[in-house]
Amino acid sequence: MKLAAAFAIALLLQLGLTAGHLWWGLAACQPLLLVVVATARRFDPVGVAWCGLGAGLASDVLAERIIGPGGIAGAVAGVAVAVVVRRFEMEGPLYWIVGSLLAAACSEASWLLLTLTLGVRPDHMLLDALATVAMTGAAGLVVASGERALRAWRSPERRRRRVLRQL
Amino acid sequence: MVRIKLRPDLTIVLVCVALYIASAAQARSPLGGTALSLAVATISAPALAVANAAGEAWEAFWSGRRNLASTLAELGSLRQESADLRRTNQLLSAELLALRQGSRLLAAYPSLAESAVLARVIARDLPRTHTLRLDRGSHDGVRTDSPVLAEGGLVGRVDLVLDHSCRVQLLTHPGAAAAASVEGVQQEALLMGGDQPRLTGFPPYTQVPLDTPVLSTGSEGIYPPGLLLGTTLEARNDGIFTVVPVRLAVRAAEVTVVLVLAPGGRGAP
Repeated sequence: MKLAAAFAIALLLQLGLTAGHLWWGLAACQPLLLVVVATARRFDPVGVAWCGLGAGLASDVLAERIIGPGGIAGAVAGVAVAVVVRRFEMEGPLYWIVGSLLAAACSEASWLLLTLTLGVRPDHMLLDALATVAMTGAAGLVVASGERALRAWRSPERRRRRVLRQL
Repeated sequence: MVRIKLRPDLTIVLVCVALYIASAAQARSPLGGTALSLAVATISAPALAVANAAGEAWEAFWSGRRNLASTLAELGSLRQESADLRRTNQLLSAELLALRQGSRLLAAYPSLAESAVLARVIARDLPRTHTLRLDRGSHDGVRTDSPVLAEGGLVGRVDLVLDHSCRVQLLTHPGAAAAASVEGVQQEALLMGGDQPRLTGFPPYTQVPLDTPVLSTGSEGIYPPGLLLGTTLEARNDGIFTVVPVRLAVRAAEVTVVLVLAPGGRGAP
């Protein structure tokens, strides 16, 4: 349920970030890939790949381009993230930052490769792919900061300090 | 009934292959304006509207902040400019006052205009040393013991000369003295300085009229004769002399421009 809610929010966010009144660089961000990164802690690589596939297909649909390459790229990115996260036992901010950068890089590289093999002129090239990686990585950093702040807020130490202060 | 059980890893690979083939098919026969596009447009409309509203709000906030910052900066610069103008205005007013005073001074003593030096008061220490500092010195021809004259009358004498400034010992200085005479009184007297300048040396019971001009006589060799020192107050007998307090003609606190005469009474009017 949480995953579905996160997916829906990310979908809307990805749509919203292309709004004309926002800074143009934000459109390069791919919040759906962060959902894929988030699933890497819960599912095995194949499960993450399924999530990546779904996210990629959704991205394709939203971008109104050929439906398929994005899904395959998402699946590849999901597998790569899941494998790396498990192999290096990543946790905390590193998990989010490396995961988002890796997911974006794998997704963009796979997508570019696939579209080139299909003989289709891709709608963006290397520089735009780099921008996507950078912006998605930045989004991962934001999520990591938020998670850290939330953990600090909910930490038992903080609760103990509050209780001691009230005594 | 036959049940096909696929391994998930193989399934996803198969799905991906199928997607690739479907993509190739789409690339060969592109579809436009489908129901899917319409659905995407419908879904994205509210999200885009919200994002645009947020963006607009942020732009408004940002431009407002920037405008506020520029307005505050302009206000600061205008205040600075106003302060500068006020200071300049004060300086110009002081300059104008000094020029007027100097011009009146020269008009009051036309015969001294050529031999005297017009000087401006740059500092004054009335309560402690009873001196003025002028902006003219030995380079301008000012010498020690040069009499100093203001519009109303004598101020004092130069007691210290530097290259570009000099110090004036006022008549209120406790050590100041000047030979003086009172109109209508034959005897000469000595004007002594101090908090209350006074004429001494009159024989006892000398009748000295009130509010009579006290003029310099030049006997002490410093001040030229005939210059106004002040006016008499009520005389009193002190021992064997009649002492006459004098109200000085010039208030040193109000003097801004003076004439420095040549020493030794050579520039007498």
